Amino acid sequence: MTFSSILYLIILLPVTCAAVAYFLPQKRYHQCMILANLLVTALSIWLFYVVRGGGAIEHLMAGWPEGIAIRLVADRLSAPLVMLGAIFCTGTLLFSTRAHYLDKTFLFLFMSLEASLLGIFLSADLFNIYVLIELSMLIIAILIMYKQDKQSVYDAMLYLMMNFIAMAFMLLGLGFIYRITGLLDLHMMQERIATLESPQSVILPYAMIMTAIALKAAMFPLFSWLPRAHGAPSAPAIVSAVLSGVQVKTGVYLLIRVSHVFASQLDATTFFLTLGFITSVVGFLLAICQKDIKLILAYHTVSQMGLIVMGINLGSETAFYGGLYHIINHALFKGLLFLTAGTIIETYHRRSYAEIRGVMRTMPAIGIGTLAGMLGITGAPFFNGSISKYFISDGLQGDWGGLAMFAINLGTTLSFVKYSAILFGKPTRKIDCPRDPWVAAVSLGFGFACLCGGLFGGFAVYALFGPNLPIAGALTLQKILGFALTLGIALLAYFYVVNRIGTVLTNVRTNRFTFNQLTVMLTLFFVILLSFLWLYGTAGEPAILMDVTP
Amino acid sequence: MAFINTIGISELAIALFFIGLFGAMTQRNIMKTIMSVGIMDMGAILYFAMSNLPEQARPPISGTPVDVMADPVPQALMITAIVIGVSVIAMCLAMYMRVAYRYRTAEWNILCSRVEK
Repeated sequence: MTFSSILYLIILLPVTCAAVAYFLPQKRYHQCMILANLLVTALSIWLFYVVRGGGAIEHLMAGWPEGIAIRLVADRLSAPLVMLGAIFCTGTLLFSTRAHYLDKTFLFLFMSLEASLLGIFLSADLFNIYVLIELSMLIIAILIMYKQDKQSVYDAMLYLMMNFIAMAFMLLGLGFIYRITGLLDLHMMQERIATLESPQSVILPYAMIMTAIALKAAMFPLFSWLPRAHGAPSAPAIVSAVLSGVQVKTGVYLLIRVSHVFASQLDATTFFLTLGFITSVVGFLLAICQKDIKLILAYHTVSQMGLIVMGINLGSETAFYGGLYHIINHALFKGLLFLTAGTIIETYHRRSYAEIRGVMRTMPAIGIGTLAGMLGITGAPFFNGSISKYFISDGLQGDWGGLAMFAINLGTTLSFVKYSAILFGKPTRKIDCPRDPWVAAVSLGFGFACLCGGLFGGFAVYALFGPNLPIAGALTLQKILGFALTLGIALLAYFYVVNRIGTVLTNVRTNRFTFNQLTVMLTLFFVILLSFLWLYGTAGEPAILMDVTP
Repeated sequence: MAFINTIGISELAIALFFIGLFGAMTQRNIMKTIMSVGIMDMGAILYFAMSNLPEQARPPISGTPVDVMADPVPQALMITAIVIGVSVIAMCLAMYMRVAYRYRTAEWNILCSRVEK
């Protein structure tokens, strides 16, 4: 038993506990799962502490030599994400302590999902990652249609089939890679690829793997599965929160990892930068069109994913760490918003933002949590979103960059002006709201974390990832005025534009793509990425912003 | 027609993958798209399993001399991939049954218009 076995333990503990303790009665089983989760959290914090102090830890499974063995690695990129995943899952489980939908099957699936997500972060073998993604995909499909009401089975089916096509692309790409390099281990693969004479041979596998990863990271135009999965009416609140908080981050994580492996031959940062911007804009435009509060949040996740991908591909170190920090922040505030939205829907039995009023009055803790999440996501001063957005905009040079950032901020604020309508006013009818201390404690805790992430932003980035970035510019008078201006324009735009184009919004909202059209989009994306790589993708020296060699 | 002799199983596997993709793009019947997706997956698996396979290779089972043995890694990995593929297809079929009973249709575009807004 060396210390590196802890990597095994973190992945296997949730799923083993869930399987072994299955004979326990419902209530004991739930307590047992919370205990297991607390243990995983403690282990992951310990792991993070060791990695942060002493560098990457790796474990070769079954004692085989490197290159043959399946490797598990925790480095400066994956350790914070593992910690985030573990803390997040524990938080959501505590949140739903008294929820009625938690039966044993649900808990078992939830724990398996957690294990597979942690496994994706810790794995350094592409085939292993493929298997874990397929596993999480199956579990998510079941969780989406868990209550089986309304169109949830259709949503889950579309989700499963779209993802399965993308995974078939990834498998074929892996086949090509295996023929070229004879390996599936990311680190060894990177070395072999660097020795290739021309990049032509890896263009096709790169494009195939990246198509799958772009679908996972919900890039334009492949994001249509995301609102179905995250905003699914039949999925309980904690499923939406985990999907939006952690699962979709695996896509971005793999984007960083895999582009680093191919960085010596191929460079698609311009492509992904543009794509990130388009995704961000389309995401908030669609969010403005929605009525269902969960769908507003789901389309918002698309928009924020675009922002994260932009930050990562800007080519500036500050923006890269801004993107990474935004991953953590987004998990916090979006998880919080989804949790509270789920509770609000359960209490009010309504889903449309127009029919929910007075959350602040009926459920103060939930209301404060929602408000903190909204301030975080719109980048209000003193909240965590402002810090990461400041870092990302630092990489955007020139007028156009500033304008792009302003447009994204305005869109975000605009859709949350719409969302905030649920907080104020008077409830239209009598609402029976049970007091649940766990719900209140977790939402206030997450909200407090959003505030702390903003107040101690510089220190948080230093503690989590290592660089000491100056944040003095994030809280100047100019920034605060800028936020106030954005809020003002958003309010005006909401009352004078959005409120008057109701039919357009309805048309956009009710327009649905069939499965065939979605597959055509996927194929088009693949072809466009392939031709981009063929024409411009072969770059010289790669800019290494963070050494993420697995 | 001499070029047919030069086509190996790997090339056919890639062709199979894109035939499946074409089916998924064009077929309106849900059952047919599920089959197309299965064909895509099979094409990818076949291509992977054919990698590092010499002309006279024998299966990597105990007792085979090492010099004529096929590369065991793709074989082992593809068994996993086949199992995953089967389970996903089975899940798709089960969901299709639910959807078909509920909405009384087997076409994607009719289904799309009948699903609750």
